[in-house]
Amino acid sequence: MASIALKTFVGLRRSTPENNAIVLSKPATATTLSYRRLRVNASKSSPRVTGRNLRVAVVGGGPAGGAAGETLAKGGIETFLIERKMDNCKPCGGAIPLCMVGEFDIPLDIIDRRVTKMKMISPSNVAVDIGQTLKPHEYIGMVRREVLDAYLRDRAATAGATVINGLFLKMDLPESKNAPYVLHYTDYNAKTGSAGEKKTLEVDAIVGADGANSRVAKGINAGDYDYAIAFQERIKISDEKMKYYENLAEMYVGEDVSPDFYGWVFPKCDHVAVGTGTVTHKGDIKKFQLATRLRARDKIEGGKIIRVEAHPIPEHPRPKRVLDRVALVGDAAGYVTKCSGEGIYFAAKSGRMCAEAIVEGSENGKRMVEESDLRVYLEKWDKTYWPTYKVLDILQKVFYRSNPAKEAFVEMCADEYVQKMTFDSYLYKRVVPGNPLEDLKLAVNTIGSLVRANALRKEMEKLSV
Amino acid sequence: MASIGITASIRRACSSQHITKKQSAQARPSRSLGTQATNVVTPNVEGLKLSEKQEKSPFPNIDNPKEPGDEIQASVETSYPRFSDERWKNGTWDLNMFVKQGRVDWDAVIVAEAKRRKFLELYPEASSNEEPVLFRSSIIPWWAWIVHSHLPEAELLNGRAAMVGFFMAYVVDALTGLDVVGQTGNFVCKAALFVTVIGVVLFRRKEDLENLQKLADEATFYDKQWQASWQSPDTSNAVKEESRKE
Repeated sequence: MASIALKTFVGLRRSTPENNAIVLSKPATATTLSYRRLRVNASKSSPRVTGRNLRVAVVGGGPAGGAAGETLAKGGIETFLIERKMDNCKPCGGAIPLCMVGEFDIPLDIIDRRVTKMKMISPSNVAVDIGQTLKPHEYIGMVRREVLDAYLRDRAATAGATVINGLFLKMDLPESKNAPYVLHYTDYNAKTGSAGEKKTLEVDAIVGADGANSRVAKGINAGDYDYAIAFQERIKISDEKMKYYENLAEMYVGEDVSPDFYGWVFPKCDHVAVGTGTVTHKGDIKKFQLATRLRARDKIEGGKIIRVEAHPIPEHPRPKRVLDRVALVGDAAGYVTKCSGEGIYFAAKSGRMCAEAIVEGSENGKRMVEESDLRVYLEKWDKTYWPTYKVLDILQKVFYRSNPAKEAFVEMCADEYVQKMTFDSYLYKRVVPGNPLEDLKLAVNTIGSLVRANALRKEMEKLSV
Repeated sequence: MASIGITASIRRACSSQHITKKQSAQARPSRSLGTQATNVVTPNVEGLKLSEKQEKSPFPNIDNPKEPGDEIQASVETSYPRFSDERWKNGTWDLNMFVKQGRVDWDAVIVAEAKRRKFLELYPEASSNEEPVLFRSSIIPWWAWIVHSHLPEAELLNGRAAMVGFFMAYVVDALTGLDVVGQTGNFVCKAALFVTVIGVVLFRRKEDLENLQKLADEATFYDKQWQASWQSPDTSNAVKEESRKE
């Protein structure tokens, strides 16, 4: 069935006008590819840190920074958490999976809403309700970022971390093997007024948790990643319209809404967030936003826009995530899944995992850490979450490719088995194998949906309205 | 503001009565995003790309005036014509209207659904809870798809294959002296036939060759991006080169 008009993601970048030929540049010495498979054996040979505990700076105070700061402080390490804006309202969908509530002991009053139903709407407005397979105690939590971030930071402070309100400027790399890193930052703490005072801080290791535009990443030349622009408007709608979104979130797919992502309407505390995103057609984001508002028009009619916000979202990890004693976590490392664009849980989890690796490698702050200790975190992370990322990548490539694929996607979502698998993997972050017979049926149905949708597309091409 | 221009210019004269109740404040220009409140990431509205569908046309009059404010003007984005077909009732195709000679004419259903999707692609509509779309393409039986889409193309390809086969049999006979019976017994000829069949199935058009190659690249690109942290600098540079070429 290869006569499907194949629009690939690889060729979609509008920014490169030249030919999209991908040249797999095989290195000339193909046989000497050196994989750095490093092991944890160096900590025993690291020198003991005398007279003090290991000092670690966590740059960035979001979920990743807060989780890292807390775990480090609890592990007995002298932790400095640097955050530039304590009341920052990061533009964000704000959805957290159920496992995060348990793993990070999130108090239930931080969660504004519990979404238990979702509506997927196809390009031709076929609407499918999902969520019937959820058990009564399962939900997707909607939070306000400013509330969640503040809570995690405060918990880190309670555990013993020093929270500094400051803007990280740059860092000086160490000259010798165990020399400290010198961080330059602008301290905003009260006394010197709003302009801030330039200060320096000497630490032994740095955790870069400062988000998509990470300066720590620039400091270690971590490399760039492709990113999506997520654009969102917060809209206050009337109470009766708000009742419809009581515990329901909507996802709109279609070329009009986004060529490679989806448009959404997520309920927040007392308003809804309507937004969309794209990687390949960033210049048209306003057009996509208008289209999203058009599709949701009846349900948000009469609403007032109270805030407009946008933010980059990384699409894949940076080429370098660890260098010497600097590690990147969260958005700074690029741990956002494809297809759903989920990042909060992965940010917090990676912050925690990295902190755990540092605590272990330094034996609770008694020894200096080395790059190999930080690579333990990388290895554990890749091993645990690689299947999740890969599956979502495949889903995005198969189902976000074109309008017919998106129609097939919405059709597939009507299937109960699909819903169960999707929610299980989303809420608990495990890729469960599932029943093989059902999997086979699912595969057949998927192919059937795709074939039907593409056959309709061929028919559409013959027509002209 | 450009957004006013856009929303104004996509207004079309429309005959459908569905629109009337939503046209309340058509003429009032929408408060664009830039004019209002607080912490706005002010979007550069001028940078918006205008599609070719737009034309300047005058507004009708307002029925009930709205308060100034940054409201989602229901009508403003309505300016597209709505899809309507006599056989489309209550969000689904009424199969009784497609009956031909006592049976449901599935070809007509397929064509009608394609038309609807094409219309919606050009003129997207709001998804409504009051008039939900209930049609599912799985209602069309599997053989209807084959008869409609697969058979014509299969006929074409078989015809081409037959012509090529006849010609090649003649040429091979002229060159090697093997007649048709002899050719079918010869291993080389059978292998060539096999390769040709596979080739015809996979590469029906020129684009298919590129598409398959792109698919192969895509399938492994994400893996390479993740492995970059584990590789030596020159190979991780190779990954960077690839992503920059995109």
